[in-house]
Amino acid sequence: MARYLLYFTAEEHYLYASSGGRLKLEAQFPGDDAGVAQFREYLRRRKGALFGVLADLTGEDFQEEQIPLLRGTDREAVVQRRLTQRYRDTRLAAALSLGQVAAAQRKNERLLLASFTNTQQFVPWLDALEEAGARLAGVYSVPLLAPALAASLGVHRGRALVVSVNRAGLRQSFVEDGRLRFARLERTGEMAPQALALFIRSETLRLVQYLVTLRALPREGASLPVMVIAPRGERAVFEQALTPDARAAFRVVDAAEASAAAKLRKAPEGTAAEALYLHLAARKPPKNQFASSGERRRYFIWQLQRAVVAAGALGFAACALYAGTRAYEAHELRVRAAELALEGRNAAQRYQRITASFPVTETTTENLRVAVLEFRRLAEASAQPDPGLIHVSRVLERFPQMELDAVQWSVGRPGERGQFEARTPVAAPRSDQAVHIELSGRVNATQRGDYRGITAQVQALASALASNGYQLLRTQLPFDVTSEGTLTGDIGGRDSSEAPRFTIILARSLP
Amino acid sequence: MTLTQEELRKLIVPLLAAMLFIGAGVFLVSSARETRARAQAELLAAQGEHRQNADRLARIAEEEREVTEKLDVYKQLKRLNILGEERRLEWADAVARIRNQRELLDLTYRVDRQKLVKSLPGKPGTIDFFASTMHVQLDLLHEGDLLRFLGDLRDSGNAYYAVKSCSMRRTGQAATGATITPRLRGSCEIDLITVVDRGAKR
Repeated sequence: MARYLLYFTAEEHYLYASSGGRLKLEAQFPGDDAGVAQFREYLRRRKGALFGVLADLTGEDFQEEQIPLLRGTDREAVVQRRLTQRYRDTRLAAALSLGQVAAAQRKNERLLLASFTNTQQFVPWLDALEEAGARLAGVYSVPLLAPALAASLGVHRGRALVVSVNRAGLRQSFVEDGRLRFARLERTGEMAPQALALFIRSETLRLVQYLVTLRALPREGASLPVMVIAPRGERAVFEQALTPDARAAFRVVDAAEASAAAKLRKAPEGTAAEALYLHLAARKPPKNQFASSGERRRYFIWQLQRAVVAAGALGFAACALYAGTRAYEAHELRVRAAELALEGRNAAQRYQRITASFPVTETTTENLRVAVLEFRRLAEASAQPDPGLIHVSRVLERFPQMELDAVQWSVGRPGERGQFEARTPVAAPRSDQAVHIELSGRVNATQRGDYRGITAQVQALASALASNGYQLLRTQLPFDVTSEGTLTGDIGGRDSSEAPRFTIILARSLP
Repeated sequence: MTLTQEELRKLIVPLLAAMLFIGAGVFLVSSARETRARAQAELLAAQGEHRQNADRLARIAEEEREVTEKLDVYKQLKRLNILGEERRLEWADAVARIRNQRELLDLTYRVDRQKLVKSLPGKPGTIDFFASTMHVQLDLLHEGDLLRFLGDLRDSGNAYYAVKSCSMRRTGQAATGATITPRLRGSCEIDLITVVDRGAKR
């Protein structure tokens, strides 16, 4: 969106349109009532346009003041009071902060109060803008833009004098640490370049002397850097005239070079150095300006509208950035997944090719494995009675007096047949399945009254059976000789014909 | 600074535009997150499949050896008719044949209804292990008769014979000269196990 800038001089006013670093002269108005009327007519076709006023006048006042260091509304009130005290009409007055200064008791703030000696000349023009519904960005003066011009020419710190030949005259702005301290405008007529350069030299030296008098510059010290913007193609002539001096160190910058430094691409023919200030007022308007907040109300609303949309756009951009990173991550994940899927397919194809050469089976490899493994497990958990019975038979051959009535062989869990005998030193079964053998029999060829003999024989048999991997689970003797049982006897009675009976239970864990 | 009604109205369109921007941004974020979540799921699936295929490929030598080894057992199970539907008639034939061949005195048996012992997941079908419990009672002249009976039964095939219990007891009958008198009475409980491979080619 183009910005319109009204270059306000004592005689004539020039309206420029600034867009994309290019300046275009839109119209030219005389400084009288006719000019105001023409301006009003022009504005009828520019409703809602962005406007700025750049004043380049001789009657601009600068006064340095100090106020207590305050913030917010207190500072605003003090500043307003100082402006009121200084100027009769404060409609176009500004207070530029020059930074803090430490006084004896408290901290103060240095201010540069600035205004125009004749503000009435602006009134019809500003009223015309107001009536046309234009958005007034601000009323600037050329000196307010001098720090920005100095910065674009490489002077960011220290003192410097920026001298330019404008349409309004010779403009000199004294800048210190990026802040305006003083400025003056000296009218120039039609002058030859050589004469103009000499005029600049003499005016500069006069101003330096004045600044020394004001104590804005030290009486003794290094020469003051002076940036002189020479009209196009006249740098050599200027350099010849502006030789270094003990008080001023001139540096001549060609207008074309200055335009490039300020990123001004194009300026209309016949425009002098004010084009630089106009461009800066459009591109990088200074915070300090002369218009009141009421006059800038439409501009503020426009800024608010833009800020709201910009906040939305910023939010969208942030979301888009976040979404972009997530989308990129998703893309990378998909690429990785595709690579893995391809590798997996290749592995599966290789597997198929290799398994195709395997022996032909009637089932799948998985079923083959499951069927055989489970069958083996089942077979290992089962047993045949042959080994157990053979073991019993071999042991009984050593005990001919023992006669078995019954043998019971079974497979089951070890606990199902009772606890191991406490006196049998055996390890716990490893498997949850075990072979159990229960033997029931009689002791022959021994007198029934021979308790000790019978008990010893049964225990000897039990011990012999508890071998070859078999463990003794329980032994039931013909007589209960344990402390927990009841021992009975019939001493002197007739011998019974029935042989004493015993029971032995063995177990063997399955692997 | 207080805004007037007119100024507030001027902010409506920018506010709508900002909301549109934010809404579009939120939609973008939401869809991007969904896309990423889907891509993550795809990656996880691809990783799982890749790992599985790679593992299978890495184990292929072992698998070949395993297949060769297990195939022999599988074929043997098939040949012995342990693998397949149970064959009750063949079991009855086998018991009768053994009794005749071994000249056993008296033999009675009962086979209970089939029950599923275990069902294991296979690919493509399950592997089911069934058992039918046989109760046998027979008169014996000698304990060797029982062991020979069990051996013959094992050799007859048509199932895997897992003996659960066996008992022998003296009959207490005195021997007479005229007839053969059994001295022992044996009884056994045997699980007749068959395996059905639901994934086998018919």
